[in-house]
Amino acid sequence: MMRGAPTAATARAAESSVEIVSGERLLRAVVHLPSHEPPRAALVFVHPFAEEKKCSHRVFVEMARAAAVAGCAALRFDFSGCGDSSGTFPEADLGAWRRDLRAAFRYARERLGAKRLGLLGLRLGAALAAELAEEELELACLALWEPVVEGERYLTLTMRRSVMRRRLTAHEGGVELDEEGEEEDEAAEIDFDGYLVSREMQEQIAEVDLLDEPKAYPGPTLVLNLSGRAKVSPAMAKLASQYVSGEALPVRQEPIWSTVGLVDAGPTIGATMSWLTRALGV
Amino acid sequence: MSDAALRERVKELVVECLFLDVAPSSINDDDNLMEVHGVDSVNLFEIVVALEEDYGISFEDEDFDVETFSTVTSIAALVERKQAEA
Repeated sequence: MMRGAPTAATARAAESSVEIVSGERLLRAVVHLPSHEPPRAALVFVHPFAEEKKCSHRVFVEMARAAAVAGCAALRFDFSGCGDSSGTFPEADLGAWRRDLRAAFRYARERLGAKRLGLLGLRLGAALAAELAEEELELACLALWEPVVEGERYLTLTMRRSVMRRRLTAHEGGVELDEEGEEEDEAAEIDFDGYLVSREMQEQIAEVDLLDEPKAYPGPTLVLNLSGRAKVSPAMAKLASQYVSGEALPVRQEPIWSTVGLVDAGPTIGATMSWLTRALGV
Repeated sequence: MSDAALRERVKELVVECLFLDVAPSSINDDDNLMEVHGVDSVNLFEIVVALEEDYGISFEDEDFDVETFSTVTSIAALVERKQAEA
């Protein structure tokens, strides 16, 4: 074997658990480092909301590992009240999550040894990543996987999906809706498939609107539209057009954020890695 | 849109949302989508959203029951009813 050639062992990225301080909260995170140093770039992963985080966890792990093997460090962290981070989910609000994301971004900048930093987000996480990109104009790249573009519609659809699931599985022993369960609109908290979401969080999510105006972030921006359709949806196309260097791609991929069980995320990861290669040269 | 065209569009959406490698025309109008093609609440949700976007209609919570979404025929009937109400 040629000296210095990567073997299966050396090509494997190193992974370690770290803690990130965000105000009074402690965020748990995992760092994926490539086998050679310094990393060519680093990506901060921004996870989606509630059940969508759980469903997509494995896909994020696989994407982070693929990035690390290609020489790009990755930081996956849990927002306050999620995963292993401190706090509780019902206490969570988007203000705290925005602070968490900034703390994770600072950590990546100061600790991962990469000169170029990018953001990769899914669903509501993509919306938060897009917001941060408007502040961090030096960002090397921005990857948005099926971003939530209109928070109010996102809330409506998420609640409806929950209702559909309960109604359609009631005949299989699922939970029947009672009148009280269908009158949650005025409650202080709503139940998102078992996640109690505060009224404040609902209002903050409803205010999310990525389509409102042209974006200042000038760097390479990828909008991945994940669905069974062959063409990009009008909303995703419009979002990409608002970026100076925006590109929307359709990826034939089942919904990785709502599918329970293992999902072959190869199409999504493959499309993202190809784009990263073009955008960052990783 | 004719009734036949609507049914074909529903079949196309079933194929797209279930990632089936079959021609839409191979789905029979009265196939039980859950039993024959494995439709579940996750991909049914995707079909519903696509129908709303394509036809400019809006479903209500009470529309979602097993019978209404059991076949191409029953889904097309619901879409027609919603279009008439709009």
